[in-house]
Amino acid sequence: MVSNVARSGWAALACLAAALSLAACSTSATNSSAGSKTASGPPLVIGVSMSLSGDFATLANPALKGYKLWASTVNAKGGLLGRKVSLKIVDDASNPTQVVTNYENLITADRVNLVFGPFSSLLTVPAATIAKRFGYAFIEPSGGAPQVFALHLHNLFLAQPAPIVSSGDAFANYILSLPTAQRPRTAAYPSADDPFTQAIVGEIRQRLQAAGIKTVYSTTYAAETVDLSPVVTRLVAAKPDLLVSGTGGADAVAEVKGMVQAHFTPKFVFFTGGPNDPTFPAQVGPANAEGIFSTGDWFPQAKTAGNAAFEKAYVAKYGGTAARIDPAAAEAFACGQLLELVAQRYGKVDNATIISALHHGTWPTVEGNLSWNADGSPRGSDIVVQWVHGQLLPVYPTAQALTKPIAKPAWAG
Amino acid sequence: MTRPGPHSRIRPAGTIQAVAFVAVVAVLPLITGQHWLVSLLVFTVMYAGLASAWNLLGGYAGYPALGHGAFFGVGAYAMAIGTSHLGVGGGYRPFVLIVPIAVGTALVVLPIARLLLRTRAAAFAVLSITLMFMVQTLAYNIRSLTGGSSGLIVPLAPFPAAIFERPFYYAMAALLALTLAVCWVVRTSKLGLALNAVRDDEDRARGLGVQTELVKLVAFAVSAGLTAAFGAVWAYYITFLYPGFAIDPLLALGAILMAFLGGRRTLWGPVVGAALIGPAQQYFAYRFGASQLYLVAYAALFLLVIYLLPEGIVPSLARRLRRLRRASPAAATHDQVATDSIFSAGDLG
Amino acid sequence: MHLFVQATIVGILFGGVYALIASGQAIIFGVTRTVNFAQAIFTILCAYLSYTLFTDFGIDPFLSILVLVPAMFAFGIGIYVLLLRRLSRSGAELGLLVLYGLGIGIQGVLDFVYKTNNRVITPGYANNSWTVAGYQIPEVRFFAFLLAVAVLGTLQLIRQRTKLGRALRATTQNPVASRLLGVDVERISAIGMGLGVAAAGAAGGVFGMILPFNGNTQYDLLSKLLSIAVLGGLLSMPGTIVAAVILGVVESVVAATISPDWSAFSFLVVLFAVLIIRPQGLFGRRLRGAL
Repeated sequence: MVSNVARSGWAALACLAAALSLAACSTSATNSSAGSKTASGPPLVIGVSMSLSGDFATLANPALKGYKLWASTVNAKGGLLGRKVSLKIVDDASNPTQVVTNYENLITADRVNLVFGPFSSLLTVPAATIAKRFGYAFIEPSGGAPQVFALHLHNLFLAQPAPIVSSGDAFANYILSLPTAQRPRTAAYPSADDPFTQAIVGEIRQRLQAAGIKTVYSTTYAAETVDLSPVVTRLVAAKPDLLVSGTGGADAVAEVKGMVQAHFTPKFVFFTGGPNDPTFPAQVGPANAEGIFSTGDWFPQAKTAGNAAFEKAYVAKYGGTAARIDPAAAEAFACGQLLELVAQRYGKVDNATIISALHHGTWPTVEGNLSWNADGSPRGSDIVVQWVHGQLLPVYPTAQALTKPIAKPAWAG
Repeated sequence: MTRPGPHSRIRPAGTIQAVAFVAVVAVLPLITGQHWLVSLLVFTVMYAGLASAWNLLGGYAGYPALGHGAFFGVGAYAMAIGTSHLGVGGGYRPFVLIVPIAVGTALVVLPIARLLLRTRAAAFAVLSITLMFMVQTLAYNIRSLTGGSSGLIVPLAPFPAAIFERPFYYAMAALLALTLAVCWVVRTSKLGLALNAVRDDEDRARGLGVQTELVKLVAFAVSAGLTAAFGAVWAYYITFLYPGFAIDPLLALGAILMAFLGGRRTLWGPVVGAALIGPAQQYFAYRFGASQLYLVAYAALFLLVIYLLPEGIVPSLARRLRRLRRASPAAATHDQVATDSIFSAGDLG
Repeated sequence: MHLFVQATIVGILFGGVYALIASGQAIIFGVTRTVNFAQAIFTILCAYLSYTLFTDFGIDPFLSILVLVPAMFAFGIGIYVLLLRRLSRSGAELGLLVLYGLGIGIQGVLDFVYKTNNRVITPGYANNSWTVAGYQIPEVRFFAFLLAVAVLGTLQLIRQRTKLGRALRATTQNPVASRLLGVDVERISAIGMGLGVAAAGAAGGVFGMILPFNGNTQYDLLSKLLSIAVLGGLLSMPGTIVAAVILGVVESVVAATISPDWSAFSFLVVLFAVLIIRPQGLFGRRLRGAL
């Protein structure tokens, strides 16, 4: 018995050693393969951790498409500064422990040249600190919550025109631009408990309350809530003129369905997320999407830098139509465009150059002309969009609008 | 080897083993300069510790606890709140918090444990995971303290990039050593015998005068306190907490899988299991995660372990070795007893 | 008050669907003594299958039940024969982990086949509702409730009025004694497992019409099923049904009158309170032994 216990202990040690040597072997393998490519000009390897599985997988998918599209586009043009761009995409399973492992691996084991950000603010925070530690530039497509900029990282840049909070400002500005008689008198603010939605809805609520629009219902529900009938019950009972809802997608669909069932149509309906998903009309019924507002950083008709080419390439690669492109794809594509611009202006794309370059000037991308403050928070503003005659169109601010806002028709049922 | 007993006191082989283990664990990060490897080791050692801490309650006492994610999360949030709200300061000072966090969690858990331990078997399993969901809901909803779903930032540790991971690694390793020491003491003390009796037949044990309530409570509280300590170090390393991340149902299940693979109710089993699955899990997700069949592979491994090695690696290996050296008839008898106890443990009556 | 009644109606209607899924879990626990940690993913699996049958073949989800129930019955028997039977010696704890592992595997396959986008089944009547005395009654939820009542009634008839049902109940109460009395416990257990999984099959389609779902939805559903199981006492069919309706109503009412933030929590508080008074659940018998 004594010797058996002893043996199991040694087995534990042997396992540790085996695990280590396995890991060591794989590093050397990676290094040698990287070395062998030197002859034909080394590719520029960009590491990305994406949520290919887990909670964020659905939402992250368009961003993945955007990254891949940019890589194939730039390679078709002969690469970046003559080097072929190669994306190394790994899965973080929507998990922060794995995100840490992934960026440590990408940077120190695979020695990628550059990294791009993961999906969601929640994963961006731990990932950005690792990039910072190793001196890597951190251009990221989707981490726009206040917590990201509270890190005060000099190496971080959000590839969107505005931080999340400003999405709320755009819609609040629109409502307050209406003549008093047309303004809503009451408003309801149900919101998923999520950094993205809370930031937007909180901002709108604060501004509209200050302007005298009465809050008749306000609540938060867990982000993963799928049964929204209690919220809809309260919402319908409150009969608000304006519904501002902090939604991620499925919950917006559920709210519309609930209101349709209850035959209750508010005068204004705004969702933070959901309506900008191209499949939204299919999910709620095409006629029901009509007149619903959202805000966005990107829309298909945008006249931003390279947008027409982006849409053409997207449709060629993934099929569908430009109207069905998710903005998250454009955000990820813009990350790549920023690299191209740095390469053009400075003739090199090392991390130090990228970091110092992006802190100066403005950078035209599909997401608009971008510039950042010291913490990587963009200085622009978002746009109010609305479903008008089956298209999601920018309607406010007037300068960027393609059409006038329409009144919300009653639900089609 | 499955049955702890006072006769298995300190032995030369055990001492050498302990020293060798400490030595290997201590030099590991020094022989590799690779950051990602040390980072992988941080998580592996953490999982070894979590699986060993779970083993106290889930293995020795036989209470199928599925909610240890709750205690891990409590430890993690305590660390984050301690560093960001209470102003403990940065650098190495947060590591000092581990002690009050572990002790505090163990104490706070006592009344809840009393309640949970009124139930047994499947009901206990379900209640423990329910407790975890409750703690998660609290973390989402008490925004003033936890930041809710916006998350809570733990101040970034100011260690130099070249050795950034090492303080975390050694903190995890020290906690693992402590956990193993606790397990060893439990196995070789009366407490271990009492837990064993609880697992075999709790009612009979109580009838025979074993203080079943007390020993269960002790196992629960110590297990929870140690789990919280690992959570605290994790929080400082990961720098950002979110209820869904810090209080994760898969955490306990990962630890259980490791304990099962290595061998429940053995001292080294959970460590062996963690050393195999921990790096494999992270490494496979990194290398092959792009295919969603990764989950299928994980499930297949899970099922293979259960069907091919129902007792785990350590007991199976030990038995293989014994069979090779069938010299001692005493060993054979013990083998039979050990097997019986594993199977009878599953009986619900 | 209007709000309270409205929330109660919605809660009862959906509670019926929970009751259907959870009853399957109770039957499985009865014959195998294993908490089926895969019951939620079985439901999601059937929601996906209904989705495919509806979008690709235009088969109404209420009709596809006729295909899914027998298929899931066979699937359940297969799981018992291939996975659980050989574990009978080493107990319920391993069974629980096996089913959990199986659930992860099925989720992996579903994620692979369907990707992870949220899906929802939207037949023409999905958004319709009736107004009765000022209260909204969503059609889908109402039909789902009727379905649940019909299936649960059938199950109850089988259990009470047939030879198979007697054997099932006997096995649930005491497998050893049943075996001595000549019941083929393994066969009965396999059938019980089949019936339990088939219940998830019946619920999948309506679940997918009421709520958007993907593979990950299983954790949300699983946590509810586990709570229902404990509150109902694991074995008892009436207990499970009562617990499921209580869950539906408590969640719905708390969400509507207080805040959705606390709806799941409030049910857990009810659960803990009940267990302090009755550790065996509302209707359960005390289970002996550790795992």
